[in-house]
Amino acid sequence: MKLRPQLNPLTQRQLARFRSLKRGYWSAVILLITIVLSSGAELLVNSRALIVSYEGNWFFPTYGKYLPGSTFGLGYEYETNFRELKVFFERQPSNSNWVIMPLVPYNAFEVDLPASRYPPNAPSLSEKHYLGTDTTGRDVLARLVYGFRIAISFALILLICNYTIGVALGCAMGFWGGAFDLFFQRVIEVWSNVPFLYVIMIIASVIIPNFWTLMIVMVIFGWMSMTWYMRTSTYKEKTRAYVLSARALGASNARVIFSHILPNSISIIVTFVPFAIAGGITSLTALDYLGFGLPPPTPSWGELLSQGTSQLESPWLVTSVVGAMVAILLMVTYVGEAVREAFDPKKFTYYE
Amino acid sequence: MTSYFIRRLLLVIPTFLGITLLVFAVTRVVPGGPIERAMNEALLAQTDSAQMIDMNSVAGAALSEDQLAELRAYYGFDKPWHESYVIWLGRVMQLDLGMSTRYTEPVWDIIKNRFPISIFYGITTLILTYAVCIPLGIAKALRHNSVFDNATSAVVFFGYALPGYVVAIALLTALASAWEWFPLGGFVSDNFDQLSTLDQAIDILYHATLPLIAYLAGSFAVMTFMVKNSLMDNLSSDYVRTAIAKGMPFKRAVFRHALRNSLIPVATSFGQLISVIISGSFLIEKIFNIDGFGLLGFESLVERDYPVVMGILVISSLLFLVGNILSDICVAIVDPRVKFGENGS
Repeated sequence: MKLRPQLNPLTQRQLARFRSLKRGYWSAVILLITIVLSSGAELLVNSRALIVSYEGNWFFPTYGKYLPGSTFGLGYEYETNFRELKVFFERQPSNSNWVIMPLVPYNAFEVDLPASRYPPNAPSLSEKHYLGTDTTGRDVLARLVYGFRIAISFALILLICNYTIGVALGCAMGFWGGAFDLFFQRVIEVWSNVPFLYVIMIIASVIIPNFWTLMIVMVIFGWMSMTWYMRTSTYKEKTRAYVLSARALGASNARVIFSHILPNSISIIVTFVPFAIAGGITSLTALDYLGFGLPPPTPSWGELLSQGTSQLESPWLVTSVVGAMVAILLMVTYVGEAVREAFDPKKFTYYE
Repeated sequence: MTSYFIRRLLLVIPTFLGITLLVFAVTRVVPGGPIERAMNEALLAQTDSAQMIDMNSVAGAALSEDQLAELRAYYGFDKPWHESYVIWLGRVMQLDLGMSTRYTEPVWDIIKNRFPISIFYGITTLILTYAVCIPLGIAKALRHNSVFDNATSAVVFFGYALPGYVVAIALLTALASAWEWFPLGGFVSDNFDQLSTLDQAIDILYHATLPLIAYLAGSFAVMTFMVKNSLMDNLSSDYVRTAIAKGMPFKRAVFRHALRNSLIPVATSFGQLISVIISGSFLIEKIFNIDGFGLLGFESLVERDYPVVMGILVISSLLFLVGNILSDICVAIVDPRVKFGENGS
């Protein structure tokens, strides 16, 4: 086996074509950067300081245990309020202590209630609430960022689960056919006609779902479409000449499936990825919006949406979350279109 | 082919049974049903405390065993779920969907009252989709890669990328709340009955504009691109080239030859629209507070009004299943090449 597997020429050309589709390519780049940044969101949006220099010692409070106020000579034992610490240090120009705060010095859970004003409060640069606060006084931008991280991880894990089931089962159905295929065809037909949002809502209204229970329920009702596509694709590939010749050479079932049929069905799998991600984000947000998703106070776009629609006089709530959704979903869909075009077999087939 | 459709029609029965059985079982197995609701209400009336209460252990104290048994019998929870499913199914066979536990009215009457609104939205959406998408798709295909094509693509694509409910919320915030061009929701104004017929029509349209845009945003893209792509495929095919080579004017070749073939995929979607007429989107209906089918389903779900939930399920799943078959029949009618059931499709 080669150490670095050479991509086959077809894949290379597909990748080159994807790169040449500027809109989709740059959307993919920006999306990837956003995802990477959001995975380190604690460094960008956090109430804990990035670096504190106190009497010659450096502290990095972002990750790890909380530092009580007494660490920095403040008279309390609960967690240090780094925003106040920064102000406190700045008021004493003589000493060399300093604090570097993240870009947005709030986390997604803390309630910031300025005196004499009721939340939600409009965006304010001086308070560093760049997108304002929500109805309980939490920073909207912080909740957007952490909500995005939850939504995108949810969508990605959901995708992996659905695809694992879909590819395995669909491949088996298409490959072996017969009664096995017929049985699961009926199961899928029944299953995909169940109004799944209904069932999720019935279940979610009772068990108060967390991330993983919601995931399980969504997988239970989401594996069918990929299974169906894979079944059709396997069904088609199975009858092609190259599978016959592999068989004639004595290839086992496993070899036919894993080194012949699956690689040739990969374009189907890849093409649906962006749309599945968009679907995952939208359905989680819809569930959260209706109040059947992740329980409060989990930061979530859907919860912000529902706050925004009930507080239409505070337009920054709706505007920021709708803006975020538009940006992310447009980019995901651009990527999807570009992938679809790059993998379109019509461009690459030598026959027909 | 007739036998194929008869077989498909017969397969509706097991699928229908499967769907209803599954949802019925879910409504029975999960706690928090109407009994618990009634117990909680009784308890709240007694203690006047609005805390969340462990339903099984504490709430039982509020009602006596007899009352509980009475409640169970009233809601049909006194039998195991499979038995009550059979009873429920028997009633459905006699076209009796049961009584709503929330309104104590027959489910059918409640559902019937929502029909006009849902059908209004369904049919308007349907007509507008076809009326806009087919001409737009043709125009885009004929002017492929022009400024017009790219500009409309951008707009249509926007609607495609965003789910209807986000479009709905954005419209509501901007056009109804901030600029107050449109009402904040509802189907008609409060003084609807006093208006003249013309004003009534205007009033309905005035209320319907934003929800319709939200409904249409998503479906526009799919349909428009379907028409555009299939027309472009056909325009590049040999028979159109032949027709033009033989001296047929381009317009005639497009409308007489290519267009006919390109409308076949549109026919595929036709049957499914029968269920769109009814189901609507409960998200959009909730956002605009439209008393349609979707909102009814959502509310009855929240209120644990399971007879209504099941009633809606019966109607929508039957329409959906029949719609699927209608789709195939439509395709078979418009495209004589399609032969169902002969090559295992």
